[in-house]
Amino acid sequence: MNSSVTSIKLVLLGEAAVGKSSIVLRFVSNDFSENKEPTIGAAFLTQRVNIGEQTVKFEIWDTAGQERFASLAPMYYRNAQAALVVYDITKPQSFIKARHWVKELHEQASKGIVIALVGNKLDMIENGGERKVAKEEAEKLAEEEGLLFFETSAKSGENVNEVFLGIGEKIPIKKPGEQANEQSGLRITDDQRVDLTNSVNGPVRSAGCNC
Amino acid sequence: MSFLGSLRQKASFWDKIAENFAPSQTRDEKFRNEYKLPLEESIIDDTNADLSFISAYSKSKELKKKEGQAMAYVYSGKLFLTPHYLVFRDAFDNSSCIMILNVSTIKRVERAPFSSYALSLVVTLYSGTQVLIQFIGVRYRSEQFCEQLKKCLKGNIDHAKALPTFLDSCYSEFLLRKNLLQMKDIKAPGGGLGQKFKYPGQNTVAKEKAKLRLWFNYFRENGANLAIVKNYTFEKLIRVGVPSRIRGEIWELCSGSVYLRQQSPHEFQEILAKNEGKTSQAVEEIEKDLKRSLPEYSAYQTEEGIQRLRRVLTAYSWKNPDVGYCQAMNIVAAGLLIFMTEEQAFWCLSKLCDCYVPGYYSKTMYGTLLDQKVFEAFVQEKMPVLWEHIEKYDIQLSVVSLPWFLSLFFTSMPLEYAVRIMDIFFMNGSKTLFQVALAILRINGEDLLEAEDDGMFIAILKNYFLTLDKSSHPESADPKFRQITKFQELLVTAFKEFNIITESMVTQHRSKYQNGILQNIETFVKKTQLRHMPKTFHLEEFELSNIYDLFYQSIATHKIGMGTGSSNMDFPVFVGFLAKFCDWCKPSDSDRNPTYVEQKNEFLKRLFKKWDSSKTGELTLNDVVYGLDKLVTNDLLESINYFFSLYDGDDDGQLQREEVLQISEGLLFLTDPWKTGKFVDALTKKSIEESIAEQFVKEHGGEVKMSDVQLPSGVTIDEEKFKAEQSERYLQAASNFLQRSFEYAQPVELEKDINLIDLSNDDQEGATEKREFNSLKANAALDPTHPKVINLATFRMIILADESYELLFSQTLRDSIHTSESVNSSDTKNKALRNMFDGIIADGRRVAESVRRRVDSVATKGSIASTESNSNQTTHSNAVSAVSGNAQEKTEDLDDFTTEQPGEHEELLSNSWIEMGDTGDDSLKQSRPLRSIQPNPVESEDNQPDLIEFET
Repeated sequence: MNSSVTSIKLVLLGEAAVGKSSIVLRFVSNDFSENKEPTIGAAFLTQRVNIGEQTVKFEIWDTAGQERFASLAPMYYRNAQAALVVYDITKPQSFIKARHWVKELHEQASKGIVIALVGNKLDMIENGGERKVAKEEAEKLAEEEGLLFFETSAKSGENVNEVFLGIGEKIPIKKPGEQANEQSGLRITDDQRVDLTNSVNGPVRSAGCNC
Repeated sequence: MSFLGSLRQKASFWDKIAENFAPSQTRDEKFRNEYKLPLEESIIDDTNADLSFISAYSKSKELKKKEGQAMAYVYSGKLFLTPHYLVFRDAFDNSSCIMILNVSTIKRVERAPFSSYALSLVVTLYSGTQVLIQFIGVRYRSEQFCEQLKKCLKGNIDHAKALPTFLDSCYSEFLLRKNLLQMKDIKAPGGGLGQKFKYPGQNTVAKEKAKLRLWFNYFRENGANLAIVKNYTFEKLIRVGVPSRIRGEIWELCSGSVYLRQQSPHEFQEILAKNEGKTSQAVEEIEKDLKRSLPEYSAYQTEEGIQRLRRVLTAYSWKNPDVGYCQAMNIVAAGLLIFMTEEQAFWCLSKLCDCYVPGYYSKTMYGTLLDQKVFEAFVQEKMPVLWEHIEKYDIQLSVVSLPWFLSLFFTSMPLEYAVRIMDIFFMNGSKTLFQVALAILRINGEDLLEAEDDGMFIAILKNYFLTLDKSSHPESADPKFRQITKFQELLVTAFKEFNIITESMVTQHRSKYQNGILQNIETFVKKTQLRHMPKTFHLEEFELSNIYDLFYQSIATHKIGMGTGSSNMDFPVFVGFLAKFCDWCKPSDSDRNPTYVEQKNEFLKRLFKKWDSSKTGELTLNDVVYGLDKLVTNDLLESINYFFSLYDGDDDGQLQREEVLQISEGLLFLTDPWKTGKFVDALTKKSIEESIAEQFVKEHGGEVKMSDVQLPSGVTIDEEKFKAEQSERYLQAASNFLQRSFEYAQPVELEKDINLIDLSNDDQEGATEKREFNSLKANAALDPTHPKVINLATFRMIILADESYELLFSQTLRDSIHTSESVNSSDTKNKALRNMFDGIIADGRRVAESVRRRVDSVATKGSIASTESNSNQTTHSNAVSAVSGNAQEKTEDLDDFTTEQPGEHEELLSNSWIEMGDTGDDSLKQSRPLRSIQPNPVESEDNQPDLIEFET
């Protein structure tokens, strides 16, 4: 196995209660909790995955969604290589907010940032809820702005790993020599990695932070 | 070295001085802060006094009764009177005795009989407790104080009446009554959710009871709630942890929210009733978070708990719309509600947001950002090694620390520990948060120095919080040492080691960083708002930025950085806003003329109404940008159309008679600055330039070298003459407008009427009617009884028929709206006419150009005719000179043409204008409107060949 690790700094943005933290929780711990406390300020989690030969360490910055926390966001998307802009497919307002975030990222974030537009809460529609943001509309935005696009359910786990996989594939892999976090990369052992290419819906073990 | 050293010393000395000049509070503010009194309480009077507090239930009083002797501590200190409170403070040791007495609790005030020379009062409270006050100082001052006290008591009768109901809600009162007054079956007052759903933590019943007894004893000796003496013991009892049952009351007592609750006993319910069923952004945001507030506490999985939380949060959002709702308030409120009733929690939350952590939850969260900065500064000062490490590994300290401050440790620590921190927080204020936060870093310092990324940093602290109940020294040989938990260690570190962090230090640091933080936020907010601005067609990005600044500068009540106050604009503010950058809205002498003021009002009201997209009587920034974008269009027709639409109230594309009159008034108002000669328009400017040039040529007798002409100076011009000419021109335009309007107005409905009559009557009669109609039509302008309308096309024609008005819409209006000047430069000077003339003279290039044209034309004419020049000819000879002049001049000339590109059309105008001026008053009046609309082709052709002939 290739022992080099690429770190990807990733930030989650989007309106309050669209499921940002839940997506992260699903990805990092393959878990879901119904009434999660809102994220105050921001949270930080990491997860390692294998994408092909490469081990990718996602450093995930999960931000607070409420409008007034927006002034804190630049602190977290600074230097980010990737962003998930999340909205709730049953809340049109959250899609408008997503547009704003995309615009802000294009203007303010680092050049070449890979942005994935993520419509969450797919499970609500499968359970008879009403979809309020058309898939086509989101696809159109994604195309116009050059975004990856996914619809997910953090609750069922549907499509969540694919989002991260998609991002991991789109970010150019650095040569080991250029690796900034070389030291932390050496610390991992094989059993902590999860091969996303093979087990898309499989449980993703947390690399946690006590590595 | 010593020199540098002394310099450094001096520098730090100046820093100290600067710190001391931090915005200082007034005496009343300090006083209120210190005793946590409501906003209304300002000091009415103060006096030195000796004071004894003899509790009705005191054990020593029982003794006294038996022995017939008074026994009580006598404190010497200062007594303050505010509208509703008597506050006493020991002069020597603040913490030995602070008495806060609400005057509602006073039942009787008597003069003490036993003092012969000094004035003494015996104040008896509802409970029978007595306060002896012996005044120190001049007798008449003491008498004055008593007079004031009497007034306060009289003014407070209503509150005093409500006292028994209020006392029923206090747990302390319940304890005293149950145990001292033998009211065994008295029921405990309503309290927090903990009463039903258990309090967090696993305090044994025995331990809780022991603690409660301590508090009972304290209340017995020192009073409680609205009439209490706080001393060392009070503080000590809080430090060991308040028993859950009275925690709510102690929190509201320490924070002073109890005073708010007592003062406005119905407000909480009234707010809820008034806003029932109403929705708002805050209400929606609250709904999203209700189930996400301390979900681990069982009450918040029940409708009862959720409902209480909903009521407290929404009531606060209505009470303080500037804050509304901020995530984290749900968690804090949920924490309060475990120990407090809804009403208590509501007032406590208010006090907390307003005084304890100001700005934390505001719309821009400036308080949070500020305190993070302050915290970082403290870390840097007190733990430089750790700080260096954090910097080196680029660790975002705020990710861990921001939730500590924002949710007051509720989300970080297990509940039972978080509430212990709150006990001290309410007593000592916001410094507590810094002390605890610093202690957490200090205790975990060594581990944290091992952390090389955010993840590890966070994990260490997370793990620490989960093991707060474990021994801090598990390996110690001493069993007593082993018993000390990590939480106890934390408290000791926080309040012993970081005792050095004082409230004033926090205040000083805050004021040091405040401006920087607010500045950052303002920049950020502006960037965000400009990013989401509607697409504009005529306004450039930098103009939007200027408009943004002008807009928010005008709304004095709105503080961008703090996110307080409405960010919308009402009409009066709107007028002030336009006055900042629109020439026709600037204050002027005309404001003394009532007709003008009426015109101004009318026009601005129409503009305001047009821009008010939501029809709420308020303009948003977007409204203003959208409106201005239309107003400043470069397109002549678009501009005319927009102006027309302001007056076409019903949008039917026609102006009724009344509307025509109003539109002419609007034009009068809009052109006032030019009519009164405050500004010069392009036409006047041009003729001034011509005149200067002419004068110059005359003086130099036609033998001017181009090099001399570069900067004409010392030229005097007849300001008054140009002013008068311009004024005359605008007056004429106005009168022409009205005249033509009625001349060309179409009597649409009248025509219909006639037609109807036509059909119903026989031919002969019809013919006469028609004749009558024709005469009617001719005099329609004078006949108010018949409706006449002007449609857009006609209006346009009439405007285009007048050069001044045409210029108004093609250029003058646009130029009078100074959106391109940034805020700072726009208020430097009100460009008066004088400046304008100065500008023209200084702009030598243009004048020089004019001169050259003349010189050239003189040169070409020289052999033919006299040197008397005709402005008409010179303008047109311009083209000629380019042909006859040398190569260099030619290129210069071409340059000039490009800069004057838009003037091509304007030059034509100026021609006809000068012509009109020349023809004198009579011909002016005769001038037919159509001639100007479509300038007589024959006439201009006549001119053209003339010139050519000159040339040849």
